[in-house]
Amino acid sequence: MVEIANDDDFRRLLEGLDTAGQRAVAAHFVDNVLPLSGDDRIRHVTEIIAKPDAREDDLSMAFHTARTVTVDTHNRCGAECDWQDQAGYFVARAALAAVTPADQLAGGPAFQAAMSSRMARTCMGIGTAEDTAGQERQAQYRILSEFIQSQE
Amino acid sequence: MSENDFLLLVRGPLLTGATIIFMLGIVVRLLEILVLGRKRNLAEPRGSAVKGGLRTIVMRSIAERETLQRTAFTEVTGWIFHIGFLVTLFFYTPHILLISKVAGISWPALPTTVIDALSIVTIITLLAVLIHRIGNRVMRFLSRFQDYLVWTVTFLPVLTGYLAFHRVGLSPTMLIAIHILSVEMLMVVFPFTKLMHAFTLFMSRYYNGAIAGYRGVNS
Amino acid sequence: MSGASLERGIHAFKEAIDAPVASFFSSCVRCGLCAHACLFFTETEDPKYTPIHKLEPLRRVWQQEYTFWGRLASALGLSKPVTDEDLADWETLVYDSCTMCGRCSMICPVGNDIAYMIRKMREGMAVAGHAPPGLIGATQRAVTIGSPMGVKLPALQAQIRQVEEETGMTIPVDVEGADYMLLLSSMEIMNFPEFIGALAKIFDQADVSWTISSNAFEATNSGIQIGVSEIAAELVQRIVDAVEKLKVKYVISPECGHAYMAIRWEGPNLIGKPYSFKVVHVLELLDELREQGRLKLSSKESQRLTYHDPCQIARRGGVVQQPRNLLNMVADDFAEMPETGTMNWCCGAGGGVSSNERADELRLTVFKRKKAQLDAVRPDAIVSACSNCRIHLEDGLEKYAMEIPVLSLTETIAEHLAEKDKSGE
Repeated sequence: MVEIANDDDFRRLLEGLDTAGQRAVAAHFVDNVLPLSGDDRIRHVTEIIAKPDAREDDLSMAFHTARTVTVDTHNRCGAECDWQDQAGYFVARAALAAVTPADQLAGGPAFQAAMSSRMARTCMGIGTAEDTAGQERQAQYRILSEFIQSQE
Repeated sequence: MSENDFLLLVRGPLLTGATIIFMLGIVVRLLEILVLGRKRNLAEPRGSAVKGGLRTIVMRSIAERETLQRTAFTEVTGWIFHIGFLVTLFFYTPHILLISKVAGISWPALPTTVIDALSIVTIITLLAVLIHRIGNRVMRFLSRFQDYLVWTVTFLPVLTGYLAFHRVGLSPTMLIAIHILSVEMLMVVFPFTKLMHAFTLFMSRYYNGAIAGYRGVNS
Repeated sequence: MSGASLERGIHAFKEAIDAPVASFFSSCVRCGLCAHACLFFTETEDPKYTPIHKLEPLRRVWQQEYTFWGRLASALGLSKPVTDEDLADWETLVYDSCTMCGRCSMICPVGNDIAYMIRKMREGMAVAGHAPPGLIGATQRAVTIGSPMGVKLPALQAQIRQVEEETGMTIPVDVEGADYMLLLSSMEIMNFPEFIGALAKIFDQADVSWTISSNAFEATNSGIQIGVSEIAAELVQRIVDAVEKLKVKYVISPECGHAYMAIRWEGPNLIGKPYSFKVVHVLELLDELREQGRLKLSSKESQRLTYHDPCQIARRGGVVQQPRNLLNMVADDFAEMPETGTMNWCCGAGGGVSSNERADELRLTVFKRKKAQLDAVRPDAIVSACSNCRIHLEDGLEKYAMEIPVLSLTETIAEHLAEKDKSGE
């Protein structure tokens, strides 16, 4: 098992994966927070991106769907905030990151998907004393570690 | 009433009355604005309000490129009839003589042929402007009785002046009397309508430029 | 709003009419040019969206109260007083189809600042009870909770904690004696929390001494948008109090257009006295750092970028050149939109329009103007400096099936920052 001690390592390892690998790992990250999204479309998107042999047009459709969901679920300026809904927004952003071309995202799709997934978890923890983001971080380290091992 | 009596009436008491209403009306309208004042701006300025205001007074006369593409008709005809009207008013010999008699100042006139041509251009342009105001959806929507009234009292002096110069239709006495009457109508209507923009546009442009200039924007 | 009435509304109109307003109404020659500067007209071709027309009730009050002829006509019973129904009819014109972008004010040949008058008219509309429910809710939340979106301190703290973990930096909160105090808009905290991390990175590299105040972190001022100056003043006062407590020299206004207008230009006038501190927009500060050579980049954007000027920051705010300097620094291929700088087109969502669900369809229709600009420039990405513009641009691009990512200028700079030299040399 690869030891991941901090986010520097985490990011470095993720950036070392190829496109398909990043997408696969990102799919796992999103999957971990999927219950936080009430939107079925994101579940569908996650299924597509998890497939190692996903076709170009399927990925393209996944991209568009994920983007539509982020736009639909963002909290509009001035509207009352609902952090549970916002969690759904960040899950959608994570899914979107997973299928966005690498050169458009700092740190790569998988890292961005990880950050957005953590933010989704953070939303759920707002107002509580739990370090929800920290928990998610540990879960993600574990996911990445297992993934790298499975590739060897 | 004979033609001469009519002319005397028009040049005498009617002119005096119209002039009083005109001057008093303008002063009252300007004071009505100024007396409202405006609050001092307590935010820290980025630029100069005064410079901005003065700049906008001048620069706002130049149309902005993109909007000009959408509104060329309004902008071009606007320029033409304003210049036509003002040049005809201030650079025609008999008008300069009148002003010199009243105010003691004068300046060189433009050749009458030029004024004549300019008047015709102005008349045609004003007609086009009216057709546009009636025909264009936005103009029609925005226009009120006042807009058509103002058009009329602006158009008539140019038309009647042209007719008087060319001695069309009636005797010279009647034509000149009608022309002066039409000017009196303009003077009387002036302070109560948007014609005040002739004076207030300087203030409005100044305020606009000052507000923007304070924030460091050229408007 | 409690105690809403026509009488209060008319009274507020009267209070709002000053010499500029009177001059503007006196000067209008009904030329219709303002319509062609307004995207709500150009994209719908509906004459009722002509900017000066949106002010008609205010104009009638001016005429009837502040002109001799108007007062005479009123006394003789010859004029039509403004009714509650009139204000109800005008609500959508004043709030749904106007963002106070001010493009009309730049065009009017006689110099009318129509956006200035809309802002004043909203004061009367609001106290007469004719403001959109979404805005009323936002304003109530702003007063009772401190944030129009109801973003409370724990939420900010949670976002901060995550940002700290991600970036490995500490976000300074309530640090007394810092130079700069950062405000954040609810939109950033909720939708774009990465903005905080981006600034932390930049400030770390540039050695900027800064802090966030736990008492006054909210930049969004919905009092301005709805037009209730008392509430707007209260929100500004909270910031002033926090500045005094933390003894900072500068307040940073974040990437939000109306927040900048509120704190930088309206603030002192709302509370009735000048500030003891200076306000800078985040772009102004970043540009200063650039000028002083304190921003070191290790890479640049190679894709074709264009810049959308948030109206309240550029045209109405005066921060025009700074984003361009920054983009020229960070991008190899920066192309201006055809109408740019102080004449750029509004995105269509500011001034409360995006908070107003009733205006959704109209807002997305008028996006076609921005779309036309983008079709002309054909960028790979759009950069802007207002979270509300950003979300709405994404919304519009989505609707019109355009594949252009929207980036924050601050975040883009942060992404290309060189690693700070840890040796301290």
